Amino acid sequence: MSNYDSIDHVIGASLFLDDLPEPVNCLHAAICPSPVAHGKLKKINIDKALGIKGVITILTADSIPGENQIGTIIQDEPLLADKEVDFIGQPVALVVAGTARQADKAVKLIELEIEELPPVFDPRQAAANGDFIAPSRTLALGDIDKAWEKCATVVEGRTETGGQEHLYLEPQGSMAMPDERGGIMLYSSTQSPTAVQRVTSRVLGIAMHLVQVEVKRLGGGFGGKEDQATVYAVLAALAALHTSTSTKLILNRQQDMQYTGKRHPYSSDFKIGLDENGKILAYEVTYFQNAGAAADLSTAVLERSLYHATNAYYIPNVRITGHCCKTNNVPNTAFRGFGAPQALFVIESAIAKAAGMMKLPAWRIQEKNLLKEYDTFPYGARARQCHAKRAFSEILHSQKWEVTQKDIFNFNKNNSLIKKGAALMPICFGISFTTGFLNQAGALIHIYSDGSISVSTGAVEMGQGVNTKIIAIVAHTLGVNTDIITVQPTATRTVANTSPTAASAAADLNGMAAKLAADTLRLRLMDTAASRLGEHVSGISINNGKILLKGQPTELDWHALISDAYLSRINLSAQAHYATPDIYFDKNIEKGQPFAYYVYGTASIQVSVDILRGIVTIDAVNILHDAGRSLNQDIDRGQALGAIMQGIGWLTMEELVYNKEGRLLTDSLTTYKVPDIHSMPSEFNVSFMEDTDNPHAVLQSKGIGEPPFLYGTAAYFAIMNALIAARPDKPMFFNAPLTHEKILHFLTCE
Amino acid sequence: MKTIINGVKISLRAEWFDKDLLDFLREDLDLTGAKRGCGIGVCGTCVILINELPVQACKKTVADIVDMTVLTIEGMSNKDDPLHPLQQAFIDAGAIQCGFCTPGMVLTAHAFLLKNNCPSREEIRKAIKGNLCRCTGYQQIVDAIEEAARHYRK
Ligand code: FES
Ligand code: FES
Repeated sequence: MSNYDSIDHVIGASLFLDDLPEPVNCLHAAICPSPVAHGKLKKINIDKALGIKGVITILTADSIPGENQIGTIIQDEPLLADKEVDFIGQPVALVVAGTARQADKAVKLIELEIEELPPVFDPRQAAANGDFIAPSRTLALGDIDKAWEKCATVVEGRTETGGQEHLYLEPQGSMAMPDERGGIMLYSSTQSPTAVQRVTSRVLGIAMHLVQVEVKRLGGGFGGKEDQATVYAVLAALAALHTSTSTKLILNRQQDMQYTGKRHPYSSDFKIGLDENGKILAYEVTYFQNAGAAADLSTAVLERSLYHATNAYYIPNVRITGHCCKTNNVPNTAFRGFGAPQALFVIESAIAKAAGMMKLPAWRIQEKNLLKEYDTFPYGARARQCHAKRAFSEILHSQKWEVTQKDIFNFNKNNSLIKKGAALMPICFGISFTTGFLNQAGALIHIYSDGSISVSTGAVEMGQGVNTKIIAIVAHTLGVNTDIITVQPTATRTVANTSPTAASAAADLNGMAAKLAADTLRLRLMDTAASRLGEHVSGISINNGKILLKGQPTELDWHALISDAYLSRINLSAQAHYATPDIYFDKNIEKGQPFAYYVYGTASIQVSVDILRGIVTIDAVNILHDAGRSLNQDIDRGQALGAIMQGIGWLTMEELVYNKEGRLLTDSLTTYKVPDIHSMPSEFNVSFMEDTDNPHAVLQSKGIGEPPFLYGTAAYFAIMNALIAARPDKPMFFNAPLTHEKILHFLTCE
Repeated sequence: MKTIINGVKISLRAEWFDKDLLDFLREDLDLTGAKRGCGIGVCGTCVILINELPVQACKKTVADIVDMTVLTIEGMSNKDDPLHPLQQAFIDAGAIQCGFCTPGMVLTAHAFLLKNNCPSREEIRKAIKGNLCRCTGYQQIVDAIEEAARHYRK
């Protein structure tokens, strides 16, 4: 089954937030952002702005009836700045006007009196100043201090990874409508309808049941609309409350790039120790995470970095420390991979550097240290159903890796203008929210008297195909065809207390809840069929819309059965709730089992670098990935391909450049380069392990959204290998993104 | 003064001429298939065809369609007709994830295939270089266009 939404998409009929019909007299809001990164907010002068034609009102912190607080994990972020501004782009005031143009015009006339304070943009500087969002954390395994003595090689180093703009093609936005009894109806482009509902309720000072949030679909999310969509929804709601009129707030691309948080930049220190055979005995790492000016999801992101510090390797002695550093950048946020890619880059840099010292190819060290069944992670959990070695060796084999290595060596010997490089990347990614209580979901299924089925869950469709998967699960469970099933927009009134659509777990959690609800209905219907046929229920089954008795067709089909059930006053609706079992974590001892299961796989990436021009071509990307029993291979392959391209983009071309005042200079698509069609590798294959089961998720499937992002890391090291072939006199460096400028600088400078 | 949009003749008033064409389509004609991904002519989500040439509607005004024939995604097929083969190819190839880039991508490909119905993959890549997709990684989009080309040869 192809993506459920794709027919509507391809004829232009699917509605995104900005396509929804506007209510009559709908107002438009625009944000007045802080122009400085840090300062005391002395005065907001709105007099001139109020004079603009069409302006209805201008709201500031004083206009907030409830709490001026939008922080979720830690309550440290005001909706509208009050007394202090902490980053450029922070909302200070909101203009509400008849048209978006009038609102934008008025924003320019608001005068802010700000006494500037020195800003901090470097997480190491913040750490030195003691500016942390939350206490630092350390995970340890074995006895690292003793282990160093046993190592034949010990290598230390430093790595940097830059931020990343989500660049979902649909910008952030929301539309709020005043509702009866003082309530608000919100349409939001959010991955977290419940977070929007909860924060709106807090800010407006009204109960959650008076706030309704509905999400039809997103034009991409990638984590950027997990926490960061909330502010625009709440601002629209605040405007609707004050004006008693529907209000819409849509960011244009430049505003979206300036105002919203990115992937967290990390600056990290590592030390790795190996025996003479390349076995890693000890690994110590410290992450300085640039959280930005408020917590947002930073502590959770850092937590995942800690858990994924050793990637797909078993290392007996480990110490991992993470600092969540408070700076004056925009609060950084979730982005596909959620801290794991940053951690992976550090361990792979450590391996690459050690390999250089030991005159061994890095892949030999990778191969030697892969996780096997029951190996312990630094936080105490054990690897189960572990396919790390298998994926790696199958890629070695299918890619004729050793031959390829020789070919590349010979090619490089004979060519001075083009150098080739290749790298392998094994991955391991844990599935579940590391914040335990989020691992729950709900579903509501109605079967109407004509037999058609409506499914609601807490999952938000953002292109990842979650609705298609949920339809397949319900169809499979009820024994009907997919074409009689519709998935409803995600709405807080139908499914309550939802977790964000995130952590690659939306299909796992919501799919399981939908399955449980469908199971309930199936049992009721089988009873109905049994009594109608005068048979025992054990002989009844439903398949393909037919009601079978001991496997043989009966007079009953789905429609007749449903009609019968309705007339017999059987409940044709079911609600279900699912909570992932057996996950726990004790932060006091930093041990536990935070994940339901792990995803494994290996990538090989080959590149060519034009030595004179510094231009990189990605020649081949080949992946072997463990998707469990995929619910839909086409969708999973699409997720994998897209994630890999984003991963390659992050480490090779996507560069956020700021001036010294902290203003983002790369705030448009002309200055911020993302992978376009030219970046597409000419050989690009994703294969799935065909026979891996997963008893820990719905119908033996596995989460797919994030893990493949990690494969992109291979591109950095493949390019680096090509650069070293050109300049064997120079050491590798670990400072991503590896942009064209950095490549040229490396090749041409002494 | 008039224009033809998706086969329908529409008379244009002079006072509309300065209006942003993308706003005109989306707000006044309720043709919301063309999206505003960037507003500055670099993402391709707003692409429509004017006299069979792909054009970024966000860079044009209503004056630019006077006496022209305009095709938006809504005009490529209608609800009762089967899908255009190119649209079907996008669905079959899995070239659609979030769908935000899809209308612009399909129309750009359509204009290209009308001119070149036997393209190489390299030519397809060049044709859609002005259209960004953040979801798919492009491979399935190139596959879809390659597959659809044969229908343009008939
Ligand atoms: S909106 Fe027109 S090109 Fe991006
Ligand atoms: S499908 Fe989402 S941008 Fe292309």
